[in-house]
Amino acid sequence: MSSSTATATATADPHHDDDHHGLSHMASIKVLVATGGTLLVLTLVTVLATKIDFGANINLAIAMAIAVLKATLVILFFMHLKYDRLFHSVVFVGAILAAALFVGFTLMDSNQYQQTNIWDPDAPPAAPFGPRPTSG
Amino acid sequence: MTEKPHEPHAPHGGDHGDGHGAGDAHGHAHGSPFIQHHYDDAQHQFDSGKLGIWLFLAQEVLFFSALFVAYILYRYHHPEIYSYAHKYLDVKYGAINTAVLIFSSLTAAWAVRCAQLNQRRGLILCIALTIGCACAFLGIKYIEYSHKVHEHILFGRYFDPCVSSGGRELLTRNNNCAGTKSTVVWDAGAGTATAGCFADIDQDPRREGVQADCTVKEYTLTETPRRVRAPRNGADGKPVIGKDGQPVTEEVEKIEVTETFKRDLPERCAEEPLPGHGEAEGGAEAAHHAAAEKFPCWRPAYQPAVCKKGVGILVEYGDHEEREHLRIKAECKPPPKPADAGDLLADRSQPLELGVPLIQPRHQLTVHEQHELEAMGPPPEHTNMFFTIYFAMTGLHGIHVLFGVGVFTWLLIRSIKGHFTPDYFGPIDYAALYWHIVDLIWIFLFPLLYLIH
Repeated sequence: MSSSTATATATADPHHDDDHHGLSHMASIKVLVATGGTLLVLTLVTVLATKIDFGANINLAIAMAIAVLKATLVILFFMHLKYDRLFHSVVFVGAILAAALFVGFTLMDSNQYQQTNIWDPDAPPAAPFGPRPTSG
Repeated sequence: MTEKPHEPHAPHGGDHGDGHGAGDAHGHAHGSPFIQHHYDDAQHQFDSGKLGIWLFLAQEVLFFSALFVAYILYRYHHPEIYSYAHKYLDVKYGAINTAVLIFSSLTAAWAVRCAQLNQRRGLILCIALTIGCACAFLGIKYIEYSHKVHEHILFGRYFDPCVSSGGRELLTRNNNCAGTKSTVVWDAGAGTATAGCFADIDQDPRREGVQADCTVKEYTLTETPRRVRAPRNGADGKPVIGKDGQPVTEEVEKIEVTETFKRDLPERCAEEPLPGHGEAEGGAEAAHHAAAEKFPCWRPAYQPAVCKKGVGILVEYGDHEEREHLRIKAECKPPPKPADAGDLLADRSQPLELGVPLIQPRHQLTVHEQHELEAMGPPPEHTNMFFTIYFAMTGLHGIHVLFGVGVFTWLLIRSIKGHFTPDYFGPIDYAALYWHIVDLIWIFLFPLLYLIH
């Protein structure tokens, strides 16, 4: 496998590389089948991993690690991002980072209010200090 | 998603003929008739489209991230819902669908390769396989969804664990419930047997510590038509008063329903086969045997706890015929009152013994044990939120798959027409990229929804 990216120079010399074909990178059958096979095996692994009890958090971590690995394989080889323009990677990874910020900040924010936002009618929070507001 | 090719400005016969080797037309604007004149060359057009599809994919990531935020937030704050509710999902279907999507991703990627190599047959085959897999995915999704619709495992207030218990039809009779939902015959608060809907009883069995110590009796209903004299009602609904000041009476036919005690119902029959299921292969005798087994059964209603409305007995019937001629009644004892922990004399069941400490240290449940216990009991509150999120995520993903079927069908037609050549295969590449992102999202949805430990 070559790691050459599809650049404008490819147009001038399309056959400088076996993997690069015409307008963009071409995946070989070997890579395609190997990627697909690995993805199927990983699916099996992730199903079997839930049968074993490592504790809820570790099981979740294993499942997510496998999912991330599978996603990386899809992105790199099926979606050709490994051989594609760097800018496409920037766009895509940028979107993922933005989504991570989205998740992170929302979780932070909800944690901030999780404890204070509950109103228990049997045990209402203590009244704040100072004069009570007059009812209008 | 992909740019629409205009009609070819000037068809070049033979430029995309089968006999041509790949790569003849590189860098020439007049290679494929679908290279549009506002691009410098084929590469320019291809790269522009590719940048467009990548921007679209980035947008898709952000689009789905909103749903993932909902999922993560809810799971973070309410893990018990997830560990309970995922039992309603079948890992088998999810795993098959994952494999189907991965295979279709492979064929989509292969289709791009075929287009690049000008292998028209391979291209058509790969696209057809991709469409087939997408349809298989949707078919499996349909099986899952219809199962959930049937069992009322749906979003929001349409999640009804009273119905989904055990996958059987839980029916109603002798109460005024609209639907075929439940038979509630026990008012735990009053400790008496009453008939009514879940909605009629406002009790939280978890608080009451429900113990269903009930006898459930089955009655046969006989309808006897009888002619009786009854006061005649006028148009306004009030009895018509005759000239002598007395209400006018008339002969009317009235159907009198009498109940005849039939038998006590066995306590549980979850393991017994439903009519038409199970031992159907055993010939006429077995079928007759199965028909004889066709009786309603009941179970203590722990499940309605989350109906928030009441406690009662869930009765399952064999079929509609049964329902029409049966009446189920229950006599229940009120649940035993748990002894107050502070009142040492309250529990008289265990006599005091010398040398035995009166207060036994309690085993503090670990978080894991707590979850295990919760998973065995009634659904925790707001379990419907899991299914709201489930349907939102898989539904949106399913719409994407549906859209993909449309796009690949369009590509199939075009590839049969021979539109795609090594210098013009952009649409195939873009659609494949779209398809990979659909696969990618499912790769995350599968463990998040189906594989919750």
